[in-house]
Amino acid sequence: MLDRKLLKSLERVVGRQYVLTQPADLLVYSYDSSTARGMPDAVVLPASTREVSAVLKLCSQHQIPFVARGAGTNLSGGAAPVHGGLVVGVSRMSKVLSIDAANQIAVVQPGVVNLQFQAMVAPHGLQFCPDPASQKVSTVGGNVAENAGGPHCLKYGVTVNHILGLTVVMPSGEVRQFGSTALDPPGYDLVGLFVGSEGTFGIATEITLKLRPLPEGTQVVVGIFDTLEASGRAVSTIIGQGIVAAALEIMDRSTMEAVEASFPSGLPTDAEAFLLIELDGLKEVLDARAERCAQICREAGARTVEIGKAPADRERLWAARKSAFGATARLSPAMLVNDATVPRTRIPEVVRQMQEIERKHRVRIAKVFHAGDGNLHSNILYDRAHPEEMERAKAASVDIFHLCASVGGTITGEHGVGSEKPEYMSLIYSPDDLAAQRKLKRLFDPAGLANPGKVLPAETETTMAGAHA
Amino acid sequence: MIGLTQTLHRFEEAVGERHLLTATAAVASYAVDGQPPVAVAFPGSADEVAALLRLAVEGRLSVLVRGAGSHLCLGAPPKPIGLLLALTRLNGIVAYDAEDLTVTAQAGMSLATLQKTVGAHRQMLPFDPPGSDSATLGGIVSTNLTGPMRMRYGAPRDLVIGMRVALSTGEVIKTGGRTVKNVAGYDLGKVFIGSLGSAGVILEITARLTPRPEAEAVLCAALSPKEAAEAAAWLVGSRLEPTSCEIINHVAAQRLRAVLPVTAEAGRQVILIGVSGERVTLERQERDVRERIANCARLDGDDARGVWLRARGLTGASGKSALIRASVPVSSVPAMMEAACALDGWMTVGRAGDGLVLASAPPEQELAATLRGLTSLRARSVALGGHAVLESGPVDLKREFAVWGEVPNADLMRQLKQSYDPADVLGCGRFVV
Repeated sequence: MLDRKLLKSLERVVGRQYVLTQPADLLVYSYDSSTARGMPDAVVLPASTREVSAVLKLCSQHQIPFVARGAGTNLSGGAAPVHGGLVVGVSRMSKVLSIDAANQIAVVQPGVVNLQFQAMVAPHGLQFCPDPASQKVSTVGGNVAENAGGPHCLKYGVTVNHILGLTVVMPSGEVRQFGSTALDPPGYDLVGLFVGSEGTFGIATEITLKLRPLPEGTQVVVGIFDTLEASGRAVSTIIGQGIVAAALEIMDRSTMEAVEASFPSGLPTDAEAFLLIELDGLKEVLDARAERCAQICREAGARTVEIGKAPADRERLWAARKSAFGATARLSPAMLVNDATVPRTRIPEVVRQMQEIERKHRVRIAKVFHAGDGNLHSNILYDRAHPEEMERAKAASVDIFHLCASVGGTITGEHGVGSEKPEYMSLIYSPDDLAAQRKLKRLFDPAGLANPGKVLPAETETTMAGAHA
Repeated sequence: MIGLTQTLHRFEEAVGERHLLTATAAVASYAVDGQPPVAVAFPGSADEVAALLRLAVEGRLSVLVRGAGSHLCLGAPPKPIGLLLALTRLNGIVAYDAEDLTVTAQAGMSLATLQKTVGAHRQMLPFDPPGSDSATLGGIVSTNLTGPMRMRYGAPRDLVIGMRVALSTGEVIKTGGRTVKNVAGYDLGKVFIGSLGSAGVILEITARLTPRPEAEAVLCAALSPKEAAEAAAWLVGSRLEPTSCEIINHVAAQRLRAVLPVTAEAGRQVILIGVSGERVTLERQERDVRERIANCARLDGDDARGVWLRARGLTGASGKSALIRASVPVSSVPAMMEAACALDGWMTVGRAGDGLVLASAPPEQELAATLRGLTSLRARSVALGGHAVLESGPVDLKREFAVWGEVPNADLMRQLKQSYDPADVLGCGRFVV
């Protein structure tokens, strides 16, 4: 519970109606789309950089931790106030400040919703490349915090490749400008360091982003497979043959069943794998590329291969794909979301071993892969009412982390470490690697108030002693 | 306090006598901005680099890292150089599986060698730094310098996914990994990319590759500045996915005359448009460009590659004539070009897709005139919402003209540097802080 004087000060900054303290209000800000939970002491909804700065100055004075929050679609606990403190919601900062089509640049506030923004730039023939499945609700501020990906980052890169500049309120409340509207500002790459820092370095309150012309045409190819492994093989071959696809997505049977139950889209629920290939670019080249992909699918053993021409097909299939996460929630009361990523050549063997993990722990795993990136979302289904089931789900998740680390992969490709994965960071980083990362945290947030409990594992007593020696 | 003689002796023990130079005559050819290092070491492993760094810290000798040595003239004139770490012996492939479309190689490998290896699988690392492909991977990543292909493929910052780095505090750390998508932990690699070895020594680099296009060509034409600006604006806004788009002034065109099918007299410019991909893509790109720009000449294959190689040569650092790189929003490239073309005899290359304009003073120009030119270009770039960095020039000039210009957040950057290099031995003051 925050003291009354602090609450009064916060009210003076943002206005009384934008400081929430009622239990019912706090409850809705206590979780995100992961399993993480934590009750905030209060929620503030600032409307400007100046207000965010004033709020963080108060946090700093009173040593209160804070958690920035966009739409709360985070899948690793990044937006959950696991250590209490203040939730700083950016929903009132949702203006697009400028769209400069000639320079292919826009400046937005962090609360702007990704898909709404796409709709605003599309009439200029432009797009903002990051397209996480949550884009209908997720915010650009959240995308920046998490270095969000999405299906099309296979061709276009992740969020950090599309951010030019940031206005950042540091955890001390100080306001800084990182980057600019021109490339390569002199000095260390502060923009690159901030993007993906999961809200632990401060709060970005203005974002200058790079837009890109929309592709002239798109075409989808669909391959239906009787084994998941065969679909993975097709993906490796497409990449190995030098075909640049805009997206390469795989859904397994469990995911298809879930999607069909919620949003009937005509997915083949009797097959083991559904491979969605999207090609984009100049219209002349799409047919030939699509035919090559179709041929590769056939050779990999696809049961059926279809080249989708109509835009309606594309929209239907993408709607199905992007609803996978929400739909899977219908299969069971809860799920653990695993987002491990592997070098692309290791997909077939990792998929095989994942199925063994499923059997070993008697869990059901709905798999949906950004296969072109080696980014394997395995959603492990369980029922919270059965603690034993939850334990098995956790054990399966840990096995998947170990598996992916053992083939040179990583524990998270796009969801972030959040509060769910710090303890697994040591699977891929040595104590020295982690110590080097911790120096960045100390640089941006020496007091440790910005989103505590996220990204890095807690310091062991020995290193703490070392630090204070 | 450990004496110099003893430190040099310890260096020798660390790398072996054959791999350490200390004789005045031998180290003279490794001078940076006229300043020879006390010793040059050629370590053969990560452990040796780490050991040398530890010894340098203990002996209080500053450390500069060298790859092929082509761009050591970047940055502010160095403070006295203790140890020059030449990484050319660290030149192997660490991991390469073509179907991963990534490669891991040691920092001292030349870009040319790497391209040969991955080229055998019809892939390429889309780096095309100024100068030539003799540059090393570590050098390219440490400078984050780019060439014409950046428009399509991005900069080293966008393509490097993992590194191994030796710190002056003795550790060898890993950043990122080998997967193209990875958000596990902080993106520490960004500390070392483009920071001229001021925070650590890059030992190993993992980068994204791209398929080598089936065909490539250059379309070029001599135009008035206004026509060139309009053509570039159209191309940048189009959906043609070109590889590159450069506008060069008549001085640059003159220097490329051996490879260019068009010439430009004073006051006119040449636009060079790079197209690549499947043959049908090229045909379509060419058709659209020709509809827009009459009288385009076309160069294919090796001829096209030759043009880019020579064009990159124009913007290579020489240490002799001044070369400034202005960075502005893309639509301001023509305005920036205009400012550069107003300077008599200056060579100018504009990268229309990236907002970069490189301008080089005529050789033999008097220092005062060059200074005036640089000052006016920097002022123009700032007025257009950008900035300008002096990439190379005679050391006398670099003492007169602030190489990096104004550096926002210098306080934070100084703290960052201190975090990773508390003994302040790395970089010899060439970088911003």
